[in-house]
Amino acid sequence: MIKNTLFKNVINDIDIGYWELYDNTSNWSAAFIKKLGYNPDDVEIKLDYFLNDLIHPDQRDAFRDNFFNLVRHYLDFKQEISIKCKNGEYKEFICITNDNLPVNVHGDSKVIFFNEKKYITNKKVKKDNFYYQESAEMTSTGSWYVDFKKQKSYWDDQTKKILEYPEDYTPSLKDSSQYYAEDHQQLAADCFFKCAMAGNPFDTEIKMLTSKGREFWAKAIGKAVYNDDNEIIGIRGVFQDIDEEKSKAITLQKTSDIIASQNSRLFNFAHIVSHNLRSHSSNLSLITQLIDDVNSIEEKLELITSIKDISESLNSTISHLNEVVTIQTQTDQNRVEVCLEMTMATVKKSISRIIRESNATINVDFSQVKCLPYIPAYMESIVLNLLTNAIKYKHPERDPVISIKTYIKDKKTYLEVSDNGIGIDMDKFGKKLFGMYKTFHYNKDAVGIGLFITKNQIESLGGQIFVESEVNKGTTFKIQF
Amino acid sequence: MKTSTVELACIIDDDSVYVNLVKKIIETKKLCENLLVFSDGKQSIEYFEAILQNLEAEQIPEIIFLDLNMPVMDGWEFLERFTKIKNKLDKAITLYVVSSSINPLDINRAKSLSSVEDYLIKPVNISELESIFTKTA
Repeated sequence: MIKNTLFKNVINDIDIGYWELYDNTSNWSAAFIKKLGYNPDDVEIKLDYFLNDLIHPDQRDAFRDNFFNLVRHYLDFKQEISIKCKNGEYKEFICITNDNLPVNVHGDSKVIFFNEKKYITNKKVKKDNFYYQESAEMTSTGSWYVDFKKQKSYWDDQTKKILEYPEDYTPSLKDSSQYYAEDHQQLAADCFFKCAMAGNPFDTEIKMLTSKGREFWAKAIGKAVYNDDNEIIGIRGVFQDIDEEKSKAITLQKTSDIIASQNSRLFNFAHIVSHNLRSHSSNLSLITQLIDDVNSIEEKLELITSIKDISESLNSTISHLNEVVTIQTQTDQNRVEVCLEMTMATVKKSISRIIRESNATINVDFSQVKCLPYIPAYMESIVLNLLTNAIKYKHPERDPVISIKTYIKDKKTYLEVSDNGIGIDMDKFGKKLFGMYKTFHYNKDAVGIGLFITKNQIESLGGQIFVESEVNKGTTFKIQF
Repeated sequence: MKTSTVELACIIDDDSVYVNLVKKIIETKKLCENLLVFSDGKQSIEYFEAILQNLEAEQIPEIIFLDLNMPVMDGWEFLERFTKIKNKLDKAITLYVVSSSINPLDINRAKSLSSVEDYLIKPVNISELESIFTKTA
């Protein structure tokens, strides 16, 4: 027997036929006999029988010489031969002996292997299959087929692996929506339906659901399979796990959004700087021209005093710009848990006088969201700005009633401040509402910085502010955190 | 010695420092007899619309200096409404946009309007102002 068990296992696995030679007899392997289509009982295991009945007559002499040279002189050989099968046809084999094998057999007996020539093509198929499996595994791509006639779907091992199902799992066609994340089941249904009914191929990114309930992003590609009558009989396709790529893309998109919003704030800031500082510098330049131009010392002195006014305005503009710059440099790292009740108490205390004087009623409801991670100073500034605005722009005929509440909608936290004040004409001023130095009413306290700062603070932390208003009815600000 | 030939000029601007300085220049240089000042577009357009009801030519300015960035009603909205009534006012009015905005979009937009004579970038200089008054007179 072949001593090398490892090799024996290999040749058993690949079902190769061989002869094992002893002094006067030989043992033909079952695989050898089977390959020719005989039963072991049908054949005489004798060289003469082989030479006379099985081997092609043209190769008989050459094989006999090779055989005896091996037995008597240990001369290894390699020969192509044709052997007659039970059905009368010849099959081509390559005979190889120990030394011509790619592996050392370490046998204590002489062996002739009969390597069926078809085996080479077999090997190639196996190789292709190997490449296919490798690429499927390395790219996390699983194949599947839905057979409409049999009402069954078939998954390859990789599909089962991606979806975390055991190898013996039988996919369900009826409940196929369970393989997709809830919010993407419709997309899946659409793709499959259109493909099944109209033959539209699909190539889409979709959130799938594994047996363990884990959601992941997959690329689903499918196309209809037709029979000879051009009827759609199934859908064939692949699922590719692209979760890692998709997560990266999503992160990238988020980063890009943050950069875009920072860039737009910077642009805005540059505009503010150029515009607001320019108006002061142009006044300064005008005043110096005028000082040069007037003749009397008294007039010159009088003009110099107005420089003081310009200097004051310039200072206040710069302090406003400073506030804006501070917002730009704050990051999410400064967030702490902010309790709205406490924020409210601080704000109320600081504006207690104007609340009292305006006879304002403030209804507070933070029952739905009590606390949230934020920058405390921003929260105070936002609440303070919105409250003072609501009081500042109260309706002349009624006392201000302001309600402030928090709630959650679509997984997002909102803060809402609404009043019964004079309102804002949204068609006219909607676009400018949050601009710097924009005021819309003749109000002596109007500066036009509050809402600009508020919007910047909110956006710097990734939130948004919305406004709804009706003239003479009131205004509602909604902040999405 | 200059003789003021412009009867009435009008400044529409919310920057009181600027307005005072221009006032001072006009007084010093005696560029016009009277000066109307409005701090935003709304007040001024209401003035012009009221004139339309009872036409009195002496209340209509020959020159308007209009700022763009103003609270309540900005220069653009003023221009929109002013263009509609301009021809009904029985007097030639020369309008200059005077703004600190150096944004080309603003400049081109203003210059493309038929009712706008020219776009002046702040700071205006004294001689420029003088020549405008002389030209209009």
